[in-house]
Amino acid sequence: MEQDTSIWTEKYRPKKFEGVVGQDEIVKRVMNLTNSMNIPHLLFAGPAGTGKSTLALIVVKELYGDTWRENYLELNASDERGIDVVRQKVKDFARTKPLGNVNFKVIFLDEADALTKEAQQALRRTMENYSSNCRFVMSCNYSSKIIDPIQSRCVIFRFKLLERKDVEKRIRLITEKENLQIDDQAIEALYEDSEGDCRRVINLLQATAAVTNNITSDLVNTLSSAAKPGDVKIVLEYALSGDFLKSKEKLLDVMLRDSVSGSDIIKSIQKEIWGLAIDPEIKVRLTEKTGEIEFRLTEGSDEFIQLEALLASFVMAGRGV
Amino acid sequence: MMPLIEKYRVDNLNDIKGQSIAVEEVRNFLRMFPVKKALILNGPVGTGKTSMALALAKENDLELFELNASDLRNRKSLEAVLKPSLEQQSLFGKKKLILMDEADGITGSDRGGLPELIALISKTKVPIIITSNDIWKKKFSLLRKSCKIISLKELSDIDVKQIITEVLKKEDKKIKSETIDLIVKGARGDVRAALNDLESVILLGEENIDDISLREKKQDIFNDLKKLFQNPVDQQTLRIFDNSELNLDEILLWIEENIPLEYQGKALTKAYECLSRADIFKGRIYRNQYWRFMVYQSFFLSGGVASATRLKNNRFISYKKPTRILKIWMANMRNAKMKAIVEKYAKLCHMSKKKAMKDKNLMPLILDSLNDKTKNKMDLKDKEIDYLKEKKVDLVVSSGLNRYK
Repeated sequence: MEQDTSIWTEKYRPKKFEGVVGQDEIVKRVMNLTNSMNIPHLLFAGPAGTGKSTLALIVVKELYGDTWRENYLELNASDERGIDVVRQKVKDFARTKPLGNVNFKVIFLDEADALTKEAQQALRRTMENYSSNCRFVMSCNYSSKIIDPIQSRCVIFRFKLLERKDVEKRIRLITEKENLQIDDQAIEALYEDSEGDCRRVINLLQATAAVTNNITSDLVNTLSSAAKPGDVKIVLEYALSGDFLKSKEKLLDVMLRDSVSGSDIIKSIQKEIWGLAIDPEIKVRLTEKTGEIEFRLTEGSDEFIQLEALLASFVMAGRGV
Repeated sequence: MMPLIEKYRVDNLNDIKGQSIAVEEVRNFLRMFPVKKALILNGPVGTGKTSMALALAKENDLELFELNASDLRNRKSLEAVLKPSLEQQSLFGKKKLILMDEADGITGSDRGGLPELIALISKTKVPIIITSNDIWKKKFSLLRKSCKIISLKELSDIDVKQIITEVLKKEDKKIKSETIDLIVKGARGDVRAALNDLESVILLGEENIDDISLREKKQDIFNDLKKLFQNPVDQQTLRIFDNSELNLDEILLWIEENIPLEYQGKALTKAYECLSRADIFKGRIYRNQYWRFMVYQSFFLSGGVASATRLKNNRFISYKKPTRILKIWMANMRNAKMKAIVEKYAKLCHMSKKKAMKDKNLMPLILDSLNDKTKNKMDLKDKEIDYLKEKKVDLVVSSGLNRYK
């Protein structure tokens, strides 16, 4: 029989509560809520790849069985820019009655922390207006980015970062089913790269399996560095050596070729600073400057100009001032 | 003292210079009314549009109702002002003419202004004249249909010169003929500009003609950059970009591209700091619609960048055009295919595009061995599958994956 899907993150996405690893307490409570066939609004907070979307999907599948697609709307806050789009979609979806025995539909709002405060305020009304026949399940990385009125309407579950043993369990299961050879170092390498993000682990695993059946840590590392967007470190090194033009060129290259956003670049820069071979006092100053630039980016400034201004400070740092 | 431009506004259509054909057409419009109920006088600034309407009213002894950009022209105020005049008899039994001056100024805050104007035109018993600089804008398309349009051209230098000479005669003033030529040339067919400049010459004297703001030719950006980077900082520095052909946002890109060609080290850092400050104010202008911040944006771009160093270059630098926008565009084109694929992948895998893009370099491998069912579900096109194969080869070569086989 042909498999339902050949993308592993979907193929090995747990279909039952029992399959979810590393979130035992949460799973138990959500399962109890689901079994009562009447869930409150839910807010899943936690790092990427820890099972938030998976659990939401399990909930709807348990609730509706085969008709889950008709009763479920998935929205991505970071893609659906503008609350108007969200509201319209919610409205259209909520207008019709749910199919089956459950008397509400479920809207999964992924990455809800990507919504602005204003958009969240608007959403709060929407939640109230359709509360009779819709339940919201929301996911976010940080619950602090969700406004209080929404938090207070939801039952909040905080997902933990997956531990190594949980990730290893998933890896072993997949390699066994797919007939792959993998050694402990390779598992360690996968875990190291993923920082506990299970989706990332599985993606990387599938990519390595496309190369060979015999997965080694060396291969994992090669691919994970190929997957990483261009190196910010080179950009900084050019700047420190005084070659501003090269540094600027490289920055543009990294941002454009791999479509890395300015805010991702600045995060990498901030992480790199402490490891640079410069005077600690200068590191402190550079970090302060980096923070200032990151703030400006959140205010909506031009990311290229702001980052170039930051690189110019690195040129000075390279001269020891 | 009355400004020259008002003092010598023509009150006879025959005295309007350089627009004889248009003048005849305007008279015709009134004669034929109400065949066409409204007339649009379209043309560049200072070509005599308003004068023509005023003179027409005078010539035919019409009572004039005038609305211009300084009046609020939304639906309500139009109705309030114009309705009575459209329907009632004039106080003095005169016939009436309505002048809707500077129609280009009917904008967002004049909600419903244009539709109301069009409705009024269909009902009016009084001729309406509308002036505008660019009636061919899309927002005027309906208005155009209900009006007769007359286009006015810029005046020739000879006409402008004649006007200036006449005014000088009436004012009993004399100035050098070179100065007159300077004014004429600077005005470029704009009579209002010419008379205003003439007035300042009369007031300030000819000696200071370089310092008064005669309308300069637009400065090209290469010259401006040279001044910015190489001239000593002085009173003029803040005004470098005043006559630029580019707007501040474009100038910002030019400076961004060229700072590293002129400045090194500390000067470079300072200059970029100023540039980034200018950018912050630019953002604040757009966010808060508070245009006064332009002062700061402009200051950091001119005074700020220029003051980054005291040691100015004298070398010839061949400044470069900003390449960033083009590079971004090209990169977007290159990435478009992968983006489309990632979008489909994200939808199937319950994740945002943004998150999916983070694994985009692995896509050629992850999507390497898709079965048909998944391909259908994802709605992957053959072209896209070929593209993925191509990318996979790239990846295998660039990362040396063959050694793992």
